[in-house]
Amino acid sequence: MRSRLTVVSAGVAAALMTVAATRPGTPSSVRAGIGAKMQSISALAVGPNGVLYAADPQAATLYALDLSKLPAGTPGTKGIANLDQQLASVLGTAASELTISDLKVEPKSRNAFVSVTRGQGADAQAVLVRIDGAAKIDVVPLETVSFTSLALPNAPDLNPSRGRSNRSQSITNLQYLNGRLYVAGLSNEEFASKLWAVGYPFKEADRGTSVEIFHGSHGQLETRSPVYTFLPMTVNGEQDLIAAYLCTPLVRFPVASLAAGEKIRGTTIAELGAGNRPIDMVRYMKDGNEYLLMSNTSRGVMKIPTKDFGSAAGITTPIAGTAGIGYETVASLTGVQQLDLLDATHAVVIARTSSGLGLQAVALP
Amino acid sequence: MPSSSPGRHPVSGCRRLRFRNIAAASFLSALTVAASGCDRGGAVRSGPSVTLESVGGRGGPIVVATGLSDAALDPAVRCVDGASDCAAFVVTVQEGDSTPIAGSYRTKGGRIEFHPRFPLDPGRTYHARLVLRDTTLRTALTVAGERHEATTVVVRAYPSDTVPENLLRLYLEFSDSMSRESGVAHVHLLDDAGREVEHAFLPLEGDFWNPAHTRYTVFFDPGRVKRGILPNEQMGRALRAGNTYTLVVDSAWHDAHGQPLARPFRQRLVATTAVLAPITLSEWRIDAPRAGTTEPVLVGFPRPLDRALLDRAVGVETNEGKPVEGSVTIAPGERRWTFTPRAPWSNAPYRIVVLTLLEDVAGNQVDHAFEVDLFERVDSTARAERRTVEFTPGR
Repeated sequence: MRSRLTVVSAGVAAALMTVAATRPGTPSSVRAGIGAKMQSISALAVGPNGVLYAADPQAATLYALDLSKLPAGTPGTKGIANLDQQLASVLGTAASELTISDLKVEPKSRNAFVSVTRGQGADAQAVLVRIDGAAKIDVVPLETVSFTSLALPNAPDLNPSRGRSNRSQSITNLQYLNGRLYVAGLSNEEFASKLWAVGYPFKEADRGTSVEIFHGSHGQLETRSPVYTFLPMTVNGEQDLIAAYLCTPLVRFPVASLAAGEKIRGTTIAELGAGNRPIDMVRYMKDGNEYLLMSNTSRGVMKIPTKDFGSAAGITTPIAGTAGIGYETVASLTGVQQLDLLDATHAVVIARTSSGLGLQAVALP
Repeated sequence: MPSSSPGRHPVSGCRRLRFRNIAAASFLSALTVAASGCDRGGAVRSGPSVTLESVGGRGGPIVVATGLSDAALDPAVRCVDGASDCAAFVVTVQEGDSTPIAGSYRTKGGRIEFHPRFPLDPGRTYHARLVLRDTTLRTALTVAGERHEATTVVVRAYPSDTVPENLLRLYLEFSDSMSRESGVAHVHLLDDAGREVEHAFLPLEGDFWNPAHTRYTVFFDPGRVKRGILPNEQMGRALRAGNTYTLVVDSAWHDAHGQPLARPFRQRLVATTAVLAPITLSEWRIDAPRAGTTEPVLVGFPRPLDRALLDRAVGVETNEGKPVEGSVTIAPGERRWTFTPRAPWSNAPYRIVVLTLLEDVAGNQVDHAFEVDLFERVDSTARAERRTVEFTPGR
């Protein structure tokens, strides 16, 4: 057998050759209206005044959904042991057709919002649900919700000429703080890993700040690995973003250093282990000390004291062991896939059990 | 009473409906149920019945209760027009499920319509409960449409057979579109004793698919591939030269129709010595075509190159920099790239254009080995650079 034929327009290939790496920035666009037609839904963030932010990574677009007119549910979030089955019942399908992407608790009502994809094929639908203190699952009517949206420029190619598409990672995480939405994701640029600081109400998205890190356990600078989860926190009186990456470096970025079109290098303050992807992190106080609680794909839930974040020396050389800030693995929390704070003493988690996915409130460790 | 009319949806009123009525309470109600339904002409007969009905467009069918006289209905649980729940008429995924499917109700005369929030799945059977004054009518309703079987398979994995021990990525090709479910849990590397090699692959989120979801990229953990750093020191490379492995894709991975793979996939891999040198274009062998023909230009590589990057990082242009239209063939083994032009070659020089982001299967790029520290590169340039190799069609 000689070969298999793949017909490629050389014109397309040549065009890609000249523009793929650094396509000129296309203008971002702001839209507003009623009825958010989201192509996909993943990361969520909660803002004030009933605004929920949601990422549409397929469209590389941020949505600010005005949920202030949503009829109130019972305050709180009540656990649902068979969440995946219950969601499937409400959405009229099988649990195997659903993918849960994120969980966020709205602090005022303490209701949980969960982003779900219904369907596995090309016609899959973006769904947002609310779970309240009576364990009632309500589908948020995106088609009647007021929204504003902002398309991010330079998103990874949806159709990269038969190559790998990493469009699903155009937006990997969101956090809201003091009138700004912080966004982590990838662009189509050579230094692809980005952080954006977007003012709300949306005006225009800039090119974002390229962020690079020294990844001690990979022995190299990384510029294309996205931030998977992060949160804002004040360290030494400075507003920082604490970010976690694949194979688990933990990195500090000063918010003041974020500048559109620029490239900054974070300070790697911990290497928390290989073969792992961080999922979610929250910050809380316990017995007078502050901790991060971070869920992971293969290293359980980590309890990380933050007291040395300000004094930890940056890791700048290849490492031969876990390094920097230490952590303790929370043995009582297993299979945790989603995690958010419920209140000062409890978190809400979605965890895999022998019978599927369950939602429960757990005491902060 | 309105009769259903044929619509564009596969389920069209009474005519193409498959339905099965289950009487719940009594033989009498069973007779009542059996008496309801459709005659041969498609018109609805009297008596309460529950059917699927097409409303046209892409929305899928609605569930309709008809033949509802005031005498038949339970006054305690009447449905309200426009409501989002109604205890008198509930549609569920599972029979007896206490959680109703989200949707809204419309009532008119002796008819209640349930409009599901999301289109009902083709091929799936749903269950309706209609509470009447004297009984409860339970109806199973199967939405027309293809009921998918488990037919999707892994067609091939590449690179195949012999691979360097510092292999950085593999590609899996499927016969049909796959689901959004992560492949991380379904792809395994077994050693020659059949034991799983732990932490061989990166646990990426979102995963890397082509747009059709038929090709999946599996990344080996670069921390284990690269020498002298923690995962490599602790665990070594997942592949070790001289050993034989089996790549296994288990059949529990679901395709885009929600079906598992028709069968697991297994492929033997023989690990050889690591490839540590960068791609050097001067080592490429180019067989130039003859001028005035559309013969292909053949480019041979001394080692396999990354299949996906070959698609986007290599092309042909004229000496003036104008892209040449044509088609590309990549031979199995990824060691030969063939370009056949649409129009005959002239006798002027042409250039093979290569982006420096082109990689071999071990992540070595053009003029840049994977093992080299990337500090300098990060601060150098944001552009993927171009390299060219000239050839001139012969006579």
